[in-house]
Amino acid sequence: MIQDPKRREFLKVSAIVSSSMLISILLPGQVRGSANAKAELSQWCVYVHIHSDNSVSMQSPIMEMGQFMRTAGPMILADEMDLDWSLIQFDTTMPTFLRRDEQNNIVYAHAQIGTGGSQTLKNNWSYLRTAGAIVRQMLIEEAAARWGCEAARLTAKNSRIIDSQSSRQFSYGELAQQASTRRVDLSQLKLKHPSQFSIIGSSKASIDGRDIVTGKPLFGIDENYPNALHAVIDRAPAMGARIASYNREAALAIPGVKQIVETPHHSGPHWPGGETQICAAGVAVLADSHWAALQGKAALATTWTDANRYAGLNSAAHRTALNALAQSSNPGKRHRDDGNVEQAFEQAEQVLEHTYERALLSHACMEPLNCIADVQKHHAVVVVGHQWPHQVALEVEQLTGIDALRVEVRNKRMGGGFGRKGETDFLREAIWLSHKVGQPVKVLWTRENDMQRDYFAPAAAVKIKAGLKQGRIQGWHMRQAQTGGEAESHGFPAHLISDCRIESLTANHPFPLGAWRGPGQMQQAFAVESMLDELAYAKGSDPLTFRLALMGPAKIYPINFWAANEIDSGRMANCYRLAAKMAGWGRTLKNGQGLGIAGHFTFGTYVAFVLQVQVDKNRKLQLQKAWGVIDCGLAVNPNHIRAQMEGGFIDGLNAALFNQVTVQDSIVATTNFDRLRWMRMQEAPTQIEIDIIQGTQSPTGVGEPPVAPAPAALANAIYAASGLRLRRMPFAEHINI
Amino acid sequence: MPIQFSVNGQPVNLDQKDQEMPLLWFLREKMQLTGSKFGCGIGQCGACTVHLNGSAVRSCLLPVGQLQGSAIRTIEGLASGTDLHPVQQAWLDEDVPQCGYCQAGQIMAAVALLEQVNDPSEEQVNAHMSNICRCGTYTRIRKAIELVAAKTPPET
Repeated sequence: MIQDPKRREFLKVSAIVSSSMLISILLPGQVRGSANAKAELSQWCVYVHIHSDNSVSMQSPIMEMGQFMRTAGPMILADEMDLDWSLIQFDTTMPTFLRRDEQNNIVYAHAQIGTGGSQTLKNNWSYLRTAGAIVRQMLIEEAAARWGCEAARLTAKNSRIIDSQSSRQFSYGELAQQASTRRVDLSQLKLKHPSQFSIIGSSKASIDGRDIVTGKPLFGIDENYPNALHAVIDRAPAMGARIASYNREAALAIPGVKQIVETPHHSGPHWPGGETQICAAGVAVLADSHWAALQGKAALATTWTDANRYAGLNSAAHRTALNALAQSSNPGKRHRDDGNVEQAFEQAEQVLEHTYERALLSHACMEPLNCIADVQKHHAVVVVGHQWPHQVALEVEQLTGIDALRVEVRNKRMGGGFGRKGETDFLREAIWLSHKVGQPVKVLWTRENDMQRDYFAPAAAVKIKAGLKQGRIQGWHMRQAQTGGEAESHGFPAHLISDCRIESLTANHPFPLGAWRGPGQMQQAFAVESMLDELAYAKGSDPLTFRLALMGPAKIYPINFWAANEIDSGRMANCYRLAAKMAGWGRTLKNGQGLGIAGHFTFGTYVAFVLQVQVDKNRKLQLQKAWGVIDCGLAVNPNHIRAQMEGGFIDGLNAALFNQVTVQDSIVATTNFDRLRWMRMQEAPTQIEIDIIQGTQSPTGVGEPPVAPAPAALANAIYAASGLRLRRMPFAEHINI
Repeated sequence: MPIQFSVNGQPVNLDQKDQEMPLLWFLREKMQLTGSKFGCGIGQCGACTVHLNGSAVRSCLLPVGQLQGSAIRTIEGLASGTDLHPVQQAWLDEDVPQCGYCQAGQIMAAVALLEQVNDPSEEQVNAHMSNICRCGTYTRIRKAIELVAAKTPPET
């Protein structure tokens, strides 16, 4: 339902008459009021065309980086519209509609097309449902007018309006053209009750499946832009380094190479604070093909001066420093300090203290970074797969002075994003080059540059001190030292332990950092769920029983974190319980086999996994099977939730086993998949079974939550199988796989 | 001497100067066949996998000069008109892709495997399917391969 009756009045529905029905919906807070019809027209967002033959063309209102949002958006719209899913033709284009808000910020004019932070579905849920319901109402009222009956007796189903008191019906196609001129009385608008959903809640395959398996050009890298020069940039390998020399003539002698342009080093403020290198100094080779540009880059034989390098940047030393910081008595930033932890430890029968560590993580999106920019005098076109299309327009405005609203952002499917494709560095180079040379430019990164010039997920060392008394946890003190960012203090076991202190500490460093796939969540879950296991074994208790006892009776605790306003120990306990049941927890295992359990709450979603591993006498590890349970409220597309549970868990296992960026003297040494090992089929679990707890709450995110419990589930399973307790990622340094 | 080979049954003639070009870039830039993807450029990830005379190869490291008389098949040559290859269909049936970027390479690797072995064992699948999927779709890839194997009559 639309919550605020005052805002309802501002809801506008606009449509233009044509051979098909064009639906555009302007919601309150989404557009400034304007009496100028033309101004509004430019802000229209057209997602749905209903054709006279009752077929429907639909553009997805949400971007895609592999988490099924291009499918979820249309599902929500189509369900409220009561469309026959099989009649919808999906368009691959995803236009960006922007406007300036009251503070002159560039924001999305309609749906929140950007994607990230496990918020995408949540951010679009109300908007798309309301949009779909308005269209359905327009069609119902058109049918009522034609039949001369009350709209209330008409129902919509499978792209038809049906008169419940007779057998007569209209197809949407028959109604569309005239319905599009109707204005809906929004006070009468009703969203469906969840029990009426027919598409939401059903498993739908990706709308792009056929295009993917037949190799259609869906990605930015596949775009063949007219007259574009292909650019390969030779970027400084050491952070902060500058160009010393290069052989321009040799590069220009390569057939197809047109121009050589130096691209400037650029530093600036960046998350989580302070300055970092945004773009490395580089030499761009512009050519008539990527292959020619690659050869040109090799011919440059660029040398670099390290006068400006970030002195002494070394990942191994950084990890040592983080561990020392976690062990130190330096006061941290206190995120939580319930009760009195010192007193609790004094009264404890037993106190455990362990530190859990993680390396800097690489993104390694399968599609290397790329961007096409065509900067003209007063407008620009950018073709790119970027998580935040409004940032693309803003980057053009900031670099060229062209109004962001005069930038056409053509969104492409992302070959993985994971937070990396929310950065602006790869946009900046393409825009800058096109502006400089006055021609469209397509910049495609080599894998080496993609890995070297990454914005890493922070490394961390988390020390947890926890006491036991009469079988219960007596005091919990967590010190999270990390490259950047803060500690999460809202998740369990906070709330459940009366004496609980959570602190964060940041090591001084110049590593470029960025968003990853729930990295802070993973670090926290690794430490918390490993320590819970260690406490359970110390007490001689079963790890599942110990967790269920900790959760206690179902209780909801208020929080305010990542759009979640509560955390429910009952929902968490249900996930543990069900995952354990699916795995046959407690069954007799073969020698060398073990089951590990771990769970996590984040982004409003609860997840638990059990993993079965085998560790042989030579410490050879095999991941066998996993069972996962998720409670993400109302399950919009069970297929996509399962896919994210499977893939997210594997991403977390990969981080636990292999993912580690190494930096030696300011140079990233893990430059490609020969030096940065990545999980392949033979290392992955053979099977992952997923169950979804059907909830009634509004849907919450599923992209990041499944990643978090993986490292702890693996560490706990290895311990159960072998007695070997791993506390330092990546585990492949300590066990054979 | 010009190099002659075929791509999806279509004859290709190359002159001397292009011979160092990796097949991947020839396919993507000269033939506009962009289904084969660039992932690493060093033959590791397998996003560029195509068939060379029926065997799966990494096309990013394969100079076109070495292709005299060869038959190349790419993801674009797998379906017959609108009829998908059984492996492509299995990929849809299991809804394998997430971001989808590596999947053309995965499918080409799986097709080559299933053309050699009707009903591969778990170990054979592990040994043959060495392509990286950053989204972690491995369990669905395995299911899709098993689905095709189950539908294929056993060898006599």
